[in-house]
Amino acid sequence: MTDSEQNSSTTAPVVACQGVQRIYQQDTVPVYALRGADLTINAGEFVSLAGPSGSGKSTLLNVIGGLDGFDAGSVVVGGVDLGGLNAAELAEMRLRNVGFVFQAYNLIPVLTARENVEFILQLQGTPNQERRERADAALQRLGLGDLGDRRPGELSGGQQQRVAIARAIVTEPVLLLADEPTANLDSKTTEELLGLLRDLNPQQGMTIVTATHDPIVMGYTSRQVAMLDGEIHQDSASAD
Amino acid sequence: MIRLAWRNLQRNAARTWLTAGGIGFSVLLVSFAMSLQSGSYEIMIDAATRYFTGHAQISEKSYIDQPRLDRTLQNVQALQTELSAIEGLTVFPRVQAFAVVSMEEKSLGGMVVGVDFDAERQHLDIYDNVIEGDVPRQADQAMIGVSMARNLGAAVGDELVVLGSGKQGAVAAAIFVISGIVETGQTALDRTLVFAPIGGVAEAFYLHDEAHMLLLMVDDLSQLNAIAAQIEPLLSERLTLQTWQQLMPLIEQSIEMDKAGGYLFFSLLLILVTFAVVNTFVMVLYERTREFGLFMALGMRPWQVIGQVQFEALLLSSLGVALGLGLSYPLISYLTSVGIPLDQMGGEEAIQQMQMGAMDRIYPKATLTSLATAPLVMMIGTQLAALVSTVRVRGINPVTALRAE
Repeated sequence: MTDSEQNSSTTAPVVACQGVQRIYQQDTVPVYALRGADLTINAGEFVSLAGPSGSGKSTLLNVIGGLDGFDAGSVVVGGVDLGGLNAAELAEMRLRNVGFVFQAYNLIPVLTARENVEFILQLQGTPNQERRERADAALQRLGLGDLGDRRPGELSGGQQQRVAIARAIVTEPVLLLADEPTANLDSKTTEELLGLLRDLNPQQGMTIVTATHDPIVMGYTSRQVAMLDGEIHQDSASAD
Repeated sequence: MIRLAWRNLQRNAARTWLTAGGIGFSVLLVSFAMSLQSGSYEIMIDAATRYFTGHAQISEKSYIDQPRLDRTLQNVQALQTELSAIEGLTVFPRVQAFAVVSMEEKSLGGMVVGVDFDAERQHLDIYDNVIEGDVPRQADQAMIGVSMARNLGAAVGDELVVLGSGKQGAVAAAIFVISGIVETGQTALDRTLVFAPIGGVAEAFYLHDEAHMLLLMVDDLSQLNAIAAQIEPLLSERLTLQTWQQLMPLIEQSIEMDKAGGYLFFSLLLILVTFAVVNTFVMVLYERTREFGLFMALGMRPWQVIGQVQFEALLLSSLGVALGLGLSYPLISYLTSVGIPLDQMGGEEAIQQMQMGAMDRIYPKATLTSLATAPLVMMIGTQLAALVSTVRVRGINPVTALRAE
């Protein structure tokens, strides 16, 4: 029995996907991005969703994060069935439960690093003083304590992605979703960043799911899920 | 929110300043033009009413349609005294009678107007246009229009015989010595008017403590309606009060026409500027689709994104309005104190009015309407422009938006 299986026997999974289908219409032709994906992720896991382009890994990540809808099956995140939520409830779910890290960093260019991290706390209605303290702590933890006043344009790619991670973890979400977070970074920066993510995992008990096709990333994760043609092709948890 | 909005405006500073400049320019232009309009209307009304008609008149109701000699106000002195107690109001009586005016062999139809020269001279401008001699000083003197003088071949010092019908049907006759000749600039008046002291005319036409009208002049024209409301209850059923709007409807109509033309021009200008603002926010939507997608991915609701852009619009329009009012208010204030010479503005009408002595300068008047209309329209227009442009945010799919270039 793996650790994750042991966890699942005692606590509810953070993510539970069953038979998830996502079909896009390309003109009049239906394109199956997900063809009945089944995936269960338990608290504290660091999971990589790997696969070639078009395998459905980003789509599954978006569906789990409530960014994208699904056409069949069920998706439960943190005990909440996403199928029953409207757009506003999904937005609230993302705000409270999910942290996102994107390939292109997606920082707000006119705000400083600290303000970018504070932004999401502001959306949550956190008071000013607490907001600033928590943002500084998150930046400090990611080794950006001195760079809080810099704007994204004044930071390197690796630094920007660390700010993005700080923004994603500052709210202490149930789930951190990272879509190809190191795709734009060199190998040294990639290793540094993955080290940071891996450290977050046991420190905060944060569940992390990252979509990637980079073997280095997969090497850092505790569980590797391979996707192909919209289905879970291989899962290291099952293989164990 | 304020910080993000302000920094987003600074993101494309040139475009922000161009848009704010457009808003500011339209505010400057419209507020100045409206203040100028407002000032010119006041001068126009004041000039017209101060010339001969007065700000308002009280007369017997039926006299308005049929100005017969016997349709008079009774107990005029008592009524005049009662009305004069109202603060800011001056009252003086007039009698008017149709008569044949003769000199030697020549006779003309005329209107003999009995006035209180001392009172009227202080308030009315017509007496500034005496081109020969002076206003009557004695009960047997009269002043006539320039055309009448020419038609009669009369000059200052000549005797005029006035012959008409008195109140009871008896013959009314009087002899006046011409003390002055007036050129009003209005042919009908210059051809028919004979001004004589009210006492002499009333006596000649058998009118005792009677007048055909009481002229009302107020110290502050904007208080006219309030004063009229005070007067109404003091008048008997037979009497009526007409303000300058009823006495000179053409003036009010021309003001309304001018206002309508002005509003049309102002509206076109403001609509044009609003379209420029729409363009700005359409660009904002295209340029920041990815950012809006991010906001929504992080958990912002579409209405919050729209609210953010609305706030940016508010800052932008406030900047433009501050710019516009910052320039227009000092300019209007300065010109309100020194005036704009009419000869510098040109125009035949202006020169004619100058010749009449009515006005030689125009003074813009800053009012709440003239200063607030353009800012309000621009601020509402900018908010609507931003709303129209960004309402499509509701349809943004965060996943697609995050892939936008």
